[in-house]
Amino acid sequence: MPREWTTATRNPHATPARQPGRRTVPVIRVQALADTIIELTLQDAHTARTARPGQFVMLYTHDQSRLMPRPFGVAGTNGDTFTIIFAIVGEGTRQFSTLREGDTIDMLGPLGGQAFNLDQPGDYLLVGGGLGIPPLLYAAQRLAAKPDTRTTAILGYRDTRYADTRMQTHTPHTHSITNAQGDVLTLLNTLEPNPNPDQPLTILTCGPKPMMQAVHQWAQTHNANCQTCMEQRMGCGYGACVACTIPTIHGNTKTCTEGPVFPSTTIIW
Amino acid sequence: MTTYTHSTIVAGIPWKNPVATASGTFLAEASTQYYDVSELGAVTTKGVSPIPWEGNPSPRTAESPSGTVNSVGLQNPGIDHYLANDLPQLKQLGATVITNVAGHTPDDYIQVVKKLDNSPADMLEINVSCPNVNAGGLSIGTDPTTLYNLITDLRKTNQQTNSSSNSPPTVTDITTIAKAATDAGADALSLINTLIGMRINTTTGQPILANTTGGLSGPAILPIGLANVWKVRTALPHTPIIGIGGIHNAHTALEYLYAGANAIEIGATALLNPQAPHTIAQELETLLDQRPALAAKLAAGETWR
Ligand SMILES: Cc1cc2nc3c(=O)[nH]c(=O)nc-3n(C[C@H](O)[C@H](O)[C@H](O)COP(=O)(O)OP(=O)(O)OC[C@H]3O[C@@H](n4cnc5c(N)ncnc54)[C@H](O)[C@@H]3O)c2cc1C
Ligand SMILES: Cc1cc2nc3c(=O)[nH]c(=O)nc-3n(C[C@H](O)[C@H](O)[C@H](O)COP(=O)(O)O)c2cc1C
Ligand code: FES
Repeated sequence: MPREWTTATRNPHATPARQPGRRTVPVIRVQALADTIIELTLQDAHTARTARPGQFVMLYTHDQSRLMPRPFGVAGTNGDTFTIIFAIVGEGTRQFSTLREGDTIDMLGPLGGQAFNLDQPGDYLLVGGGLGIPPLLYAAQRLAAKPDTRTTAILGYRDTRYADTRMQTHTPHTHSITNAQGDVLTLLNTLEPNPNPDQPLTILTCGPKPMMQAVHQWAQTHNANCQTCMEQRMGCGYGACVACTIPTIHGNTKTCTEGPVFPSTTIIW
Repeated sequence: MTTYTHSTIVAGIPWKNPVATASGTFLAEASTQYYDVSELGAVTTKGVSPIPWEGNPSPRTAESPSGTVNSVGLQNPGIDHYLANDLPQLKQLGATVITNVAGHTPDDYIQVVKKLDNSPADMLEINVSCPNVNAGGLSIGTDPTTLYNLITDLRKTNQQTNSSSNSPPTVTDITTIAKAATDAGADALSLINTLIGMRINTTTGQPILANTTGGLSGPAILPIGLANVWKVRTALPHTPIIGIGGIHNAHTALEYLYAGANAIEIGATALLNPQAPHTIAQELETLLDQRPALAAKLAAGETWR
C-alpha cells in the first residue's frame, strides 16, 4: 500500500498571495492603426482591474515551436477588457496580427514589479518613442482621472502617427514628431512643458534607449523626477529565470520584477 | 490541496511525488506566487556561489525551435543570502529543497558545501555542467578525474547531506562521467543539464546572446535527456537518477520514469507556464494510478529498469 502524503500545515503568514497563472482569453477586437501596427483588445477582468501603467502582459503563440513568452505593455483598460498595441517585427507578432474577433490567445499577467508612480500631483510630461508609446497611453488614461495633474504628451514616430488620436482622448496637450522632422528632444526644447514652475514636474518615458537617455539628461537639467520604462529580452516575465537584467547602480537588475519602470537615475546609461 | 499517493525515494530522501523544479527556473519569491511548493516532490533552487555573482551581460535569452537558449551565467546573491532568506522560507512553506551549488574553482564549491553542512537543505545538486561560466561548471563535468577529485573533497566537507551531481550531456561518454561521480561518493545523478547552443540575428549578423553561446533547454532536448538517462541506468543499475531535459507534460515525465529515473525535474517549461510543475505533478498522479507496477517500484525507491 503506497504511503499517503498530504500537504503539511504551515504558518499562513509565510504563504504568498497567489497570482492567476497562464490562461486562455478571448480576442475582442483587432484593429490596424498603421501598416504594421496593430491594436489588440483582449477580455480579462483581472488585468483590466489590476494592471498599473508600465506593467505588461505575456502573450504566447499557438505554435509549438515558438514557445517563449512575448511581452507587451498594457495600453489601456475598459470594463473587463484591456488593449495592447504592437508592431509586427517577427514571426510571433506576425501570428498575433492574424488573430480575429472570437479567437483566443494565451496570456500571463499583468506582470512588472514596478509601474509608473502617478501619486505626485502637478505637471506630467510623457515622452514616448515608437513602440514605447503604448504604456504611456495607459499612464495618460489614468492621469486623466486625477484632477490635480496636468499632462503633456510628446510622441516620436518613425512615420505614421499611430497613437495621436488615442492620446488626445486623454490629454489635449499632445505633440508629436516623425523621424523625417526630428526627434522628441527637438520638441522638448521648443515646448514649455512646465508652465507652472512652482509645480513639481514628473517625466514618464518609454522608447528606444538613446531617446530615454536624452530624456533623462533633460530631466536632470530641468530638476524633474524622471521614470523610465525599460525593455529587455525576457525568459519568463515573473522573476524566475534572471534572464532580463539591465545594468543599474544596484548591479544587474531584473526588468520584469524590479522594473520595468525605474527611476532614471538608477540606470547605468 | 491535492493528496499524492505516488511517492518516490531519491537516495534515501522521500519525495511526496516524482516531480521537482529544475535549477535556474525556480525562484522562491517568484514561483510561490503560482503554486504551493509543498505539493511538489522537491524544488531545486538556483545555483548558489560563495559570494554574490553578477552573471553575464544581456541579452541572456534567445528563443529556438521548441526551446530556449540562455546565458544567465549563474547570477545569484550568494550562499549567505540564500541561507538567510530562500532556504528558511522554502522550508517554512513545507518544501523538500534541493540546493544547487555553483563554483568557478573547487574551492568555491567547497566553501558553499561547507556552509550547507547542517543546513535544512534536503539534498545538494552539484552543478558541474553549466555552459555559461568560463571556469568551473562544464570544465569540471567533462573531465572524470577532476570531477572525481571534486566530489571526493565535497563528500569530506559535508557528510550529512545527500548530493547529486548534475552531469553534462556533451561528453563523449556520459557513463564514464557518471561513474566518476558515484565512485567519489555522489548519492545520485541529475541528468541532464543544457546543451551548448546559439542564435544569430540575421539583420545584424551578430549573435543574439551577449555571451555569444548559451545553454539550450526545453522540449527540443527531450530525446537527448532520455537517451542519456537510459544509458546511465544501463551502466549503473542501482544509482538514483533524477531525469531532466525537455519535460513539458506528464507523459514526457513518464518517459523518463520508464527510462529508469527515480524522479524528474522541470526547467524551461516552468518559464513558459509558471504553474506547470504543479500541473504536471497532478497529472502524473493520475498516470501513475493507471500504472500500479511503476508506481510501486518508485514508492519503494526502485526504478522501472
Ligand atoms: C516590458 C516590455 C514591453 C513591451 N511592450 C511592447 C509594446 O507595447 N508594443 C510592442 O510592439 N512591443 C513591445 N515590446 C517588444 C515586444 O516584446 C517584441 O517586439 C516581441 O516580443 C517580438 O516578438 P516576435 O515573435 O515578433 O519577434 P521574434 O524576433 O520572432 O521573437 C523571438 C523572441 O525574442 C523576443 N524578442 C524579440 N524582440 C524583442 C524585444 N524588442 N524585446 C523583448 N523581447 C524581444 C521575443 O519575445 C521572442 O521570445 C515590449 C518588450 C518588453 C520587454
Ligand atoms: C534560465 C535557466 C537557468 C538555469 N540555471 C541553472 C543553474 O543555475 N544550475 C544548474 O545546474 N542548471 C541550470 N539550468 C539547467 C536546468 O536546471 C535544466 O537542467 C535544463 O534546463 C534542462 O531541463 P529543461 O529542458 O526542462 O529546461 C538552467 C536552465 C535555464 C533554462
Ligand atoms: S524574465 Fe525571467 S526573471 Fe525576468
